[in-house]
Amino acid sequence: MVLAVVTLLALGPFAVMVVVALSPPGSPTLPHALPESLTLRNFAVVLAAEDFVRWTLNTLVYALVSVVVVLLSASMAAYVFARKRFRGRDLLLWTIVSTFMVPFHAVLVPLLLLVASLGWVDTWWGLVVPTLANAQAVLVLRQFIRALPGEVFDAVRVDGAGDWRTYWHIVLPLCRPVLATLAVFVFLWHWNDFLWPLVVTNSTDMRTLTLGLSTMDSTRLDIAELMAAATATALPCLVVFWLLQRHLVSALTGRGR
Amino acid sequence: MRGAVTTLLFLLPVLVLFGLFRVVPVLGAAGLSLTDHDAGGGWTFVGLANYRDLAASRTFTASLRTTLGYVALCVPLTVLVALGTAVLLDRVTWARGWFRAALLAPYATSPVLAAVVWRWLFEPLGVLSHPSLVLPALAVVSVWKGSGYAVLVLFAGLQDVPSDCLDAARVDGATAWQRVWHVLLPFLRPVLFFVVVVETIGAFQVFDTVFVLTEGGPMRASQVLAYVVYEYGFRLFDLGHAAAAGVVLWAVVLLVALTQRRVFGGDP
Repeated sequence: MVLAVVTLLALGPFAVMVVVALSPPGSPTLPHALPESLTLRNFAVVLAAEDFVRWTLNTLVYALVSVVVVLLSASMAAYVFARKRFRGRDLLLWTIVSTFMVPFHAVLVPLLLLVASLGWVDTWWGLVVPTLANAQAVLVLRQFIRALPGEVFDAVRVDGAGDWRTYWHIVLPLCRPVLATLAVFVFLWHWNDFLWPLVVTNSTDMRTLTLGLSTMDSTRLDIAELMAAATATALPCLVVFWLLQRHLVSALTGRGR
Repeated sequence: MRGAVTTLLFLLPVLVLFGLFRVVPVLGAAGLSLTDHDAGGGWTFVGLANYRDLAASRTFTASLRTTLGYVALCVPLTVLVALGTAVLLDRVTWARGWFRAALLAPYATSPVLAAVVWRWLFEPLGVLSHPSLVLPALAVVSVWKGSGYAVLVLFAGLQDVPSDCLDAARVDGATAWQRVWHVLLPFLRPVLFFVVVVETIGAFQVFDTVFVLTEGGPMRASQVLAYVVYEYGFRLFDLGHAAAAGVVLWAVVLLVALTQRRVFGGDP
């Protein structure tokens, strides 16, 4: 009973957002009254007025490229960290762990100067590439690969498979559940990220959806249109979340990280 | 020899990404915080002058207090709400997956979205224009947005509490409160600490909601540390002070993390 109330509180703001987004202009609306009729007009207005298609494209590039590159680079390194002995391994790993502890705000200014010196300000390169160093992905994957039974690796070595074949045919398929979970996290993190797009982009064309939403928040007066925009930005990540929430739940509850 | 080359090739993408976009900026931040950057693009080494300026600046010391105030509101509130919800979720037997997913939904959306929606919910209350109510309001947004995660972690922790201990306590006539206090909490301690630390580190870095909802106002009442870093760097273009403020934020987060290590005595 109480839990139902808590759940309603969690979902309430979403409901308010959607109802207001569907209210016709000028009609009495929440919190004073429910709208008398519903309309998609606000969505049409917002989609026509703002460059939503371009913002969605930017956000998709930001999120999807990040997912692919982070998962590939992190799993390659994690395989070597988990299965090889080489000089400097612990130092490298320690370095990666310690960058995990640095707040993004602390490196914001030097990172932007670096991106500027590469000529990447206000480009997709500048948006995506500096955010691909994901310590959490490396650590989680290394932990997982280390826990895999050693016999698997011995067997493929006897068969004469090299590291690349082992990585591609053994490590990646076995890591699939962890990779799926990390993919959801990396996707959501980038889709919802605000700070980096805020500082690295200047032009309207390069905005991501969150950034576009925040600029509309400070310029657009019609609340129904604003809520329509908010709904439009949230929909994709809520859909991804709903489809994959089982993965997310098992990852979040799997002790530690 | 070939093995070493292969190892290096496997590491190469991560080495380049971390070296260029994490290690270099971290060293750069430390270096930058010791310099003065003038409009002409020149750099002058000024030693610790930036840090002394920050220590002497009313705005900066006030932002430290504001951040602490926010953390002191946000973390206990999140943990209490999450703990209560997790206990309730543990007792429910039907549609548990649905409840869990619904509770986690705000966690999957952006802080900007949360801020935009909550600004409108707060409007009739006027809390955002009141200096002493603005931090509680920001904490409420954070609880809404973030406690779903804490609920899940605590819920998982509850699954590890042996049910015979609870049954034994019930047979012995312990009240619900006594069972929570004397049986559940001791078992939950490690998970609870984990949640507290994660929430604390996150709360120290609060930025997005402040940026969208208050821009540090009213009357600087919500000017938190991360916002000060942004303001120095991207409104005043005072890069030296921005870097120094960033390093202070880093030091604070590191301090919290090290305290956690002592408490857990293990994994970072």
